[in-house]
Amino acid sequence: MKTKIPDFVKTNQFGLLLLVIVFVLLFTFTTDGFSSRFNIYALSRVVAIDIMIGLAMMVVILTGGLNLSLGALGVSAAMFGGWCMESMGIPISISIVLILLFGSLLGWINGFVTVKTGVHSFIVTLATMSIYFGFMTLLTEAEAFRKLPETFTDFGSMKLFNKYVSPLLLLSIFTCFILFYLFKFTDIGRKLIAAGANPDAAELSGISVNRMFIYCHMLSGFLAAVAGIMLTARIGAAIPSMAGHLGFDWLLPAFLAPVIGGTLLSGGKVTVFGTMLGAVLVTLINNGLYLIDVGEFWVRFFLGLILLFAVLLDRAREYFTSKNSIVS
Amino acid sequence: MNDLLKKDWFGLGIVIIFGSILISIFKPAFISPFNLYVLMLSVSLMLVVAMSQMIIIAIGQMNLSVGAIGGLVAISFTGLMEVYDLSIFLSMCIGLGIGVICGFINGYITVKTGISAFIITLATLYIFKGMNLGITEAQPFYDIPDAVKYFGNAKIFGPIPFLVIIPVIITFFMWILMNRTTLGRYMLAYGNNVQSSELMGISSTKIVVYAHIISGLLAAIGGMLVVCRLQLGTPNIGDSWLLPSFAAPVIGGAILAGGKVDVIATAFGVILVAIISQTLVIFKIDPFFVQIFLGFMILIAVFINRYREYREERRNKVFSNE
Repeated sequence: MKTKIPDFVKTNQFGLLLLVIVFVLLFTFTTDGFSSRFNIYALSRVVAIDIMIGLAMMVVILTGGLNLSLGALGVSAAMFGGWCMESMGIPISISIVLILLFGSLLGWINGFVTVKTGVHSFIVTLATMSIYFGFMTLLTEAEAFRKLPETFTDFGSMKLFNKYVSPLLLLSIFTCFILFYLFKFTDIGRKLIAAGANPDAAELSGISVNRMFIYCHMLSGFLAAVAGIMLTARIGAAIPSMAGHLGFDWLLPAFLAPVIGGTLLSGGKVTVFGTMLGAVLVTLINNGLYLIDVGEFWVRFFLGLILLFAVLLDRAREYFTSKNSIVS
Repeated sequence: MNDLLKKDWFGLGIVIIFGSILISIFKPAFISPFNLYVLMLSVSLMLVVAMSQMIIIAIGQMNLSVGAIGGLVAISFTGLMEVYDLSIFLSMCIGLGIGVICGFINGYITVKTGISAFIITLATLYIFKGMNLGITEAQPFYDIPDAVKYFGNAKIFGPIPFLVIIPVIITFFMWILMNRTTLGRYMLAYGNNVQSSELMGISSTKIVVYAHIISGLLAAIGGMLVVCRLQLGTPNIGDSWLLPSFAAPVIGGAILAGGKVDVIATAFGVILVAIISQTLVIFKIDPFFVQIFLGFMILIAVFINRYREYREERRNKVFSNE
């Protein structure tokens, strides 16, 4: 009497995909302009950055920690990039390499301090958040870099596929595939997961857990720097306040995407495509809330509620799957 | 004397005393009545906020929504008085009630779902802040009764502000709670080791919910004190509380894994942070440096705590070998 359900239907990603489809249909039929070319293009630019932010947080959540300094780090890297390109006149390609190195360096500081003090990365990144952001504001004197090279800003406003999609989104999807490959098929990726899942066991089997944790933080800094570059390209300028005070505007998408996507907060489990779908869902809902006109001041309220429901739903799913597995 | 040296607050106290003497030698303006008045005001506001965070650190969790609760209560308090013409006392009671409800929501969801308090309070941070912005549409309430304004400005005698009374009472009660009551000891036991505290028969639900309720209540008081101080209710009250709320307990030697907090050391942490921020202002250093400094102070405190733990471990090892 039991019908066989394919395995992928039970996964979190499948549920997410359904939700994304439901929301797309809902918004297409209930609001004007959701499926317009302009809105889809705008969505693709936003979602690209949300995916990158989500991935940057995901790789730290893997260690069982978190990175509060994500926004501050991303903005600092972007401002550094603006300085390189505008004030120093360094060519774009070299600038981008420098930005990525800079982001990784800031990530390394987070990781190094966390590992050396043995304190939860929350408090370390809380401190580095204000340090990075403070130095950034101090050095830039809160001035934006608005005269970036045109080839760089043109990339941000380029339109592909019949003007529906921004190249930024392709970059994010490409990054997803690389990370998927890293965690699934490479030696170092498996080590990172092992270190996050059970540090003691990993240490006993000869993995340097501390080094792995530092790598995770460096990767997070790297991805945050990528997000910073993308945001700069999208806006066409590097602005100190582009992620809000202390980079706090990035934190909600940063946590929402991996958590909705099924990444365990206790560490040791990553879902790259879950995070991607999570980011898509968040952007969709955000966009839909504006389109159905709940009022811009209530958007935050609803996003908070959605995060709450997402984690509760996830907990319920876990509960039912564990119950089912006991029965069968 | 040896016992005294082991206390967390002792070292901090010495740093504060010698630091203050040193600063006042270089800049006599530091001990001017006006400066002391400003210093005490900032200490009294941050003291309440730090206590609100400290009690959650005691049970091994964190509360990101402290500032959001404070802001929501602040605008409710002023809004009720301005728009609905309620009496000060009634508005205050409703404000405290909102703080308790917010805390209850945080605690209840955290303990019933077993999801990390970080994520729950991040969600409620957005919910409370969103309600705040939705209600006010980012506009402040200006019409504050004179009695409230007076309370925020009056001085008891000399440079001592009236406002300082409430935080001092709160600190006293917090000390009693953490050191002299069963509830406080249970909270520390829970923070230290959840499993063994449950095996001892301590109800997790009760402990976590109570801790969050107290945290919400203190955040509410903090929000209303800021209203008295600023003489208006702006929606962005509480936005900048996150960093200092963690800084003071951590500098005071609290261990974030839970189970160890020190009320007096946290209070000293608040004073130290206030003195340093004030000094940077007196020496006309860029205000953004204050932020950087706070960040560095947290890191230094974390390193010192780690070093002390390490020394303790080594000492224990020597004893166990004998």
